[in-house]
Amino acid sequence: MKHIWFIMIKDLKLFSKDRMALFFFILFPFIFVIAFSFIMGDLGAEDQRLTLNVTSLEEEGGISYQIIEAIETEDESVLEPGEPIISWDVDYDEAHQAVEDGELGGLLVFPEDFTDGIYQSSGTELTVVVNPDAINTYAALSGLAHSIATRVNSQWVAASATIELLIAEGLLDPTDSEAIEEVMEGILSGQNVSEGQSAIVLATESVGEVEPVNAANFIIPGYLVMFVFFAAALGAEIIVRERQNHTLERLLASSVRRWSILGGVFAGTAAKGVVQITVFWVVGILAFGIDLGVSPAAVVILSVLMVVVSAAFAIMLAALVKTRRSAGSLAVLAALILAPLGGCWWPLFILPSWMQFLAKLTPHGWAMIGFNKLMLFGAEFGDVVTEMLVLLGFAVVFAVIGIWRFRTSAV
Amino acid sequence: MLKPFLIAKNLHKSFNSRKAVDRVSFSIRKGEIFGLLGPNGAGKTTTIRILSTVLEPDRGDVIIGGYSIRRNPDAVRRLIGVCPQELALYEELSAIDNLVFFGRMVGLSGSEAKAQAVARLKLVGLTGRAKGRVDKFSGGMKRRVNLAVSLMGHPKLLFMDEPTVGIDPQSRNRIYRTIERLRDRGMTILYTTHYMEEANRLCDRVAIIDAGRIIAMDTPLALRSRIGPPEQVTLEDVFLKLTGRRLRD
Ligand SMILES: Nc1ncnc2c1ncn2[C@@H]1O[C@H](COP(=O)(O)OP(=O)(O)OP(=O)(O)O)[C@@H](O)[C@H]1O
Ligand SMILES: [Mg+2]
Repeated sequence: MKHIWFIMIKDLKLFSKDRMALFFFILFPFIFVIAFSFIMGDLGAEDQRLTLNVTSLEEEGGISYQIIEAIETEDESVLEPGEPIISWDVDYDEAHQAVEDGELGGLLVFPEDFTDGIYQSSGTELTVVVNPDAINTYAALSGLAHSIATRVNSQWVAASATIELLIAEGLLDPTDSEAIEEVMEGILSGQNVSEGQSAIVLATESVGEVEPVNAANFIIPGYLVMFVFFAAALGAEIIVRERQNHTLERLLASSVRRWSILGGVFAGTAAKGVVQITVFWVVGILAFGIDLGVSPAAVVILSVLMVVVSAAFAIMLAALVKTRRSAGSLAVLAALILAPLGGCWWPLFILPSWMQFLAKLTPHGWAMIGFNKLMLFGAEFGDVVTEMLVLLGFAVVFAVIGIWRFRTSAV
Repeated sequence: MLKPFLIAKNLHKSFNSRKAVDRVSFSIRKGEIFGLLGPNGAGKTTTIRILSTVLEPDRGDVIIGGYSIRRNPDAVRRLIGVCPQELALYEELSAIDNLVFFGRMVGLSGSEAKAQAVARLKLVGLTGRAKGRVDKFSGGMKRRVNLAVSLMGHPKLLFMDEPTVGIDPQSRNRIYRTIERLRDRGMTILYTTHYMEEANRLCDRVAIIDAGRIIAMDTPLALRSRIGPPEQVTLEDVFLKLTGRRLRD
């Protein structure tokens, strides 16, 4: 255990003496990010954006109609890059059939009793009908449903409180149900009942609005995933260098365990990765104004897991190759193939489904699905647990292969 | 008569059916400097790698300080120090950083490692360059650091694999003096070289190894006496007589 620590410190010391490596770790990624934010800024405006379909089973005039009206996209040209189109399908059966036929990725359905459920506090349920192939549509719809639910809920509480307040102040007659409903609808649909009631204005936002998406919300995680992996994979060189420098032999002859050596390199690589993601997020937030979504903790954990996967990959690579040159070129090759495949360079959800499938063979793909869900579609922690577990799975597989191969490899 | 500190029994090692070490047996007594003498490719390094538990022999065993390299490699590793033929250093780090790091790897505490590092650098005559980066050192200085590292943790038995190859006379003399000082302190040393006069000067006993096999083993004096008056022949002549070849072709 002690050995792991000292080997890690030694690796970090070696790293700090290497200006070129420092440049590649920290500065280079940002040169990329800055260059690509310009390019991507225009790219996002193409018509290949995600379309989210919404429908209601309610009678006309229910609250769901107001919500849909509020969130429906009226003019595509004003959408921010990456922001999805929200389209209102009036005919439920037709829309449902379209999902079944695979013409639509998915559908968010407001139930028949939506308004009643809210007014009578008996609860109501939003349904996402989804085509299993369309993972990103599903993620987006779930995020949308979630945000509608939480916002309606909180506004319902605000509205009830407001009405009670109005009654208490004698401004509203508790027996006049029509007047109450009017106030309520006004609040829920985000329209001010009247001027001068500033307390209410504060409590009401237009329902279910999808925040305009900053292109950096996609670009930063994409380059984070790519460069974290890139830099970590180059860590494979460290072990190969120990082998070629004969220091590996020296370590083994001084009763340092093979797994401690791997552990030390892993820890050093991971520590560098953590520095890298810290820089990425801090610069991303301060300079690019990215939004970590409703669960920053999930974003952080996902990033750390990407570091862990990458460091594990480095160990596997190091155990499989013989020379430093092949470690280096394989690391670069893997990084450059896996990044676009995994959706680091363009959003996965604009790609055909076979490419989305390929993405899922890479750790990058899973990390990107997670980041996109969290940072573009308003998903919460619970929605990305699968992605986290898959990344952990990748890390375990890589590490096991690495340890197993390194156990018997010649020095 | 002292009991042997190292006993190598019938060691075999092949690489792809090519025999690198073939039926090698010898023993080294405590406090002895034992030379393994042979041309390039004779199997000296392979033997040392087996003795130092880095490479497993195909057959045979080695007992060091009572422990078997097969059954108890960790106990063996606590007794030995290895000065490899190739430099085994982190060149971007300073000499002292290298020594302290490897000191910690053999289990020394931070302060012990520091103290020993300073002492070892003094021993090899590099006190003034302790903080210098190894990649700025001359070949001879690097070799001295390499030797200093192998002395971290007070090994009882030191393996030195051609420590004087390709270095300036000044560094070479410094290494000779270091070895003599270590001998005075009772250190047991296995020394490989293909410089015959070096073996003659330093070693209590030598084994001549060729093509993986030990073909002769005795004191340098006794070996020379085998082929003529010892003051007129060299170990070089012994090798020529035994193999029909010159040592360095
Ligand atoms: N890892 C290996 N794989 C294949 N062959 C090897 C390996 N290590 C050594 N050999 C071969 O075994 C033989 C003995 O090599 P070894 O390095 O032990 O010789 P040496 O006496 O140390 O020579 P030198 O004076 O050049 O250092 C050589 O023929 C060498 O090519
Ligand atoms: Mg050799």
